[in-house]
Amino acid sequence: MLKLNSVDAGYGKLGVLRNISLNVNKGEFVALVGPNGVGKTTSLRTISGLIKPSKGEITFMDQRIDGKPVQNITKLGISFVTDDGCLFSGMTVHENLLLGAYIINDKDKVKKLLKEVLELFPRLAERKTQTVGTLSGGERKMVAIARGLMSDPKLMLVDEPSLGLAPILVLAVFESLKELTKRGVTVLLVEQNVNTTLKIVDRGYVIEQGEIVLEGSSKDLRENEHIKKSYLGIE
Amino acid sequence: MDSAVVSDILIGGVLRGGMYVLMAMGLSLVFGVMKIPNFAHGEFYMIGAYLCYFSVAVWGLPAPVAIIVAALGAFMIGAIIERITFYPLRKRSQGNWILNSFLVTAGLSFVLQNLAQGWLGVTFRGVPQLWGGTLAIGGMHISMDRVMAFGIAMSTVTVFWLFLKKTKTGSAIRAVSEHETGAKLMGINLNTIHTLTFALSCMLAAIAGAALLSIIPASPFMGLQPLYKSWFVVILVGLGNIEAVIIGGFMVGIIEMVASYNFGAGFQDVISLSIIILVLLFKPSGLFGKKLKV
Repeated sequence: MLKLNSVDAGYGKLGVLRNISLNVNKGEFVALVGPNGVGKTTSLRTISGLIKPSKGEITFMDQRIDGKPVQNITKLGISFVTDDGCLFSGMTVHENLLLGAYIINDKDKVKKLLKEVLELFPRLAERKTQTVGTLSGGERKMVAIARGLMSDPKLMLVDEPSLGLAPILVLAVFESLKELTKRGVTVLLVEQNVNTTLKIVDRGYVIEQGEIVLEGSSKDLRENEHIKKSYLGIE
Repeated sequence: MDSAVVSDILIGGVLRGGMYVLMAMGLSLVFGVMKIPNFAHGEFYMIGAYLCYFSVAVWGLPAPVAIIVAALGAFMIGAIIERITFYPLRKRSQGNWILNSFLVTAGLSFVLQNLAQGWLGVTFRGVPQLWGGTLAIGGMHISMDRVMAFGIAMSTVTVFWLFLKKTKTGSAIRAVSEHETGAKLMGINLNTIHTLTFALSCMLAAIAGAALLSIIPASPFMGLQPLYKSWFVVILVGLGNIEAVIIGGFMVGIIEMVASYNFGAGFQDVISLSIIILVLLFKPSGLFGKKLKV
């Protein structure tokens, strides 16, 4: 479904990603893990169109998307949930969710999607008329993920959903992402929380200093000596 | 102060304030969404007045149609101007955006004023009335033209507010003003929203100019006064706060009437500006303002 082929990308003259190649198949739950500042978020920003790659190709559903405007990539079926949510803080939960369905013209479909996301996140149904700026951190994450679902995406890119959350909320968010994949949504997750991530995803890539250094099934990665030592604290 | 004077001040202040709300709303919208301090805003008021004049006095159209012509004409002119000025500026660089866009609007103001002067001359072009008659309110007889101008202003503001709150496009405009990256990720085309926003802002100013044509005739430099008043309102309530403009417009209108009654018409700007300065000393972001990310 998604394929990156030898992609370089960065911010102006600052190159961050080097020769990144990865793929995500339909229905998979794939993680891109690594320490802080290695290019995980840059990878998602490049796929979503917020950053143009300086080299390489990105294809989605056999269509090249590198260099396309962000809104066009969204219309193709990619939804990007950023680490800070990019929420519209002065607008209500309901308004934010409806904006998530901006690309959908079918009003009945929007109503159906809204019902589904509120069933997935019942707390948001209670907060529907509340301004997003007044919500807690965990609730804002839920709004961000729920809003990302409202475009009925084929692929969701989720950036560090556990950032700033209490452990119990981290589990709840991860479980909701797992639930999404059971509903047929393909998810590419970026996380620093390697331990929890590798317990729930199907496959993973490890990125260090802007390059993919390891890839494999979550089981293989959990048993990899480098991963065990560097990320799981197991000697 | 006896009740007749109070009525006089209130009614006059409300009628005046209604026009300020309409003018200031467009200015606040452009700043809130596009981060452009538009110093050419008064020129679209001027364009509206001229379009209304030609519609009524030259083409013989009825007043309601003339107002619509002014609105649509300014909308199209605003859209074209946005595409040939701010769109290429945005593509080229967003560094020093507020200063650069301000300079563009200052240049635009000169160009539009001088185009109007060169093409239409400096003669004031007005009409004796758009609607005719008077209305008795609280013992006063107010010209129907003033009442209709107020009615048009309030209807326009209401429709515009409903458009922003209840429509998909209106929500998209608000989303862009809140978080541009977030809006892009929702599939919103920022360039389309920016052009639409600027065109709507010009349209709002033009409706004000058209509605007041029989009271303030059209002339090339007529836009300065409404521009200043709009800035008074926007700065008082806080840059980019579109809803608060409704309260701010009426506040400035009433403050001016009170100042005018007590100190004379020449002091109304001095008093209203002094109050605005005092407010800003204690609350620099304006009465209802929030810190703006620039």
